[in-house]
Amino acid sequence: MNSTGFDACPECDLLINLAQPKIGEKVHCPRCGLLLSQPRKQNIERTFALSIAGFILFFPANLLPMVGISLLGNANTGILMSGVISLFNQNMWPVAVVVFLASILFPLVHISLSLLISGHLYFNRPNRYLVLWMRWMQHLDEWVMLEVYMLSIIVACVKLMAIAPLKFGWGLYAFIALIVITTLLTSTLDKQLFWRRIEQLRKDNRHAS
Amino acid sequence: MPAKMNALQQGFIRCHDCGYLVKKINQQSFCPRCDSQLHERRPHSLQRSTALLLSSFFLYIPANIFPIMTVNQFGTGDAHTIAGGIVELIDSGMIPIGLLVFVASILVPTSKLIGISLLLLSVHFRWQINARRWTMMYRVIAFVGRWSMLDIFMISILVDLVNFSGVQIIAGPAAIAFAAVVILTMFAAENFDPRLLWDK
Repeated sequence: MNSTGFDACPECDLLINLAQPKIGEKVHCPRCGLLLSQPRKQNIERTFALSIAGFILFFPANLLPMVGISLLGNANTGILMSGVISLFNQNMWPVAVVVFLASILFPLVHISLSLLISGHLYFNRPNRYLVLWMRWMQHLDEWVMLEVYMLSIIVACVKLMAIAPLKFGWGLYAFIALIVITTLLTSTLDKQLFWRRIEQLRKDNRHAS
Repeated sequence: MPAKMNALQQGFIRCHDCGYLVKKINQQSFCPRCDSQLHERRPHSLQRSTALLLSSFFLYIPANIFPIMTVNQFGTGDAHTIAGGIVELIDSGMIPIGLLVFVASILVPTSKLIGISLLLLSVHFRWQINARRWTMMYRVIAFVGRWSMLDIFMISILVDLVNFSGVQIIAGPAAIAFAAVVILTMFAAENFDPRLLWDK
């Protein structure tokens, strides 16, 4: 979208001239059916709130024990990072790096960026890095794989329950809450609105100075 | 405005990062809103996507024939391939979980490899296709790709938890190949530009 009100569908390049959709409306591309926009109310406030919650939850989800297992009189507990370390110790460092990025580093960076961006927009504070943060966050979108990890935990637990008793820790509950938050966050965040607001802030700042 | 017209034919370029629509003027190459580089279509979409796809085809072979993990029990090792692990799950009565792993580790990667190949072939040879339906296929491929990481994350959990003096789970070489297949096909899908299906 630009100031003329024209837009192009990102997946079929159809040139469209649409009025700004109202809150609650859904706009689909008339040619390929892609969902183009779906504005929600209080988008920046909600994104900001969810980002704060997600950022806080990230730490218990990563530091508290998730699943414990006892076998032959011995007990083991696992957290996200200990899986990465175990793989590393077995000389599986390429896999360890992939798991570390997709389940720890990228989610942390993604939620921090979302917190930074929505915070700046919420308080109307211009920052020349907003554009860059926004671009990074979009590129990371696909590589944050917490919900896939959750499914892996379920499959692994079903497998292990057959051979040994399991104990679920607070880390797991925090992790589940974190997934709920990040899922809500990705479905809430209206990128087009964010880009428009960033542009607006930039213009206001230029006029002021 | 003429009906059903591509933005590019009308001289507009959509910024890939922020969606800003820019009127194409000679060699303007940066988006005025977000400063990222402007491209009419994803640069070298077909070449990059094909290269990534071919690499994943090659890696798909070791991913399936080598063991993905080995269960060591009191000195005897029991190696599983991806398919072997699924057969074992189903044999021991865990049918829903077995099906889930089958979908994530075999069905999704295989159909992704075939799907991206078809998309690339259709653009390269200008097949007469129903572009809307093929765009849908592209969307499904792009969406499901990440779920194949299920097996990789599961190995990381199992390796970590089942680590006792008598019983151990060791990750196998197929894990590296399989993770590479998942990542390369994700990049292949990302580099494919669905708008090529609509360019005539």
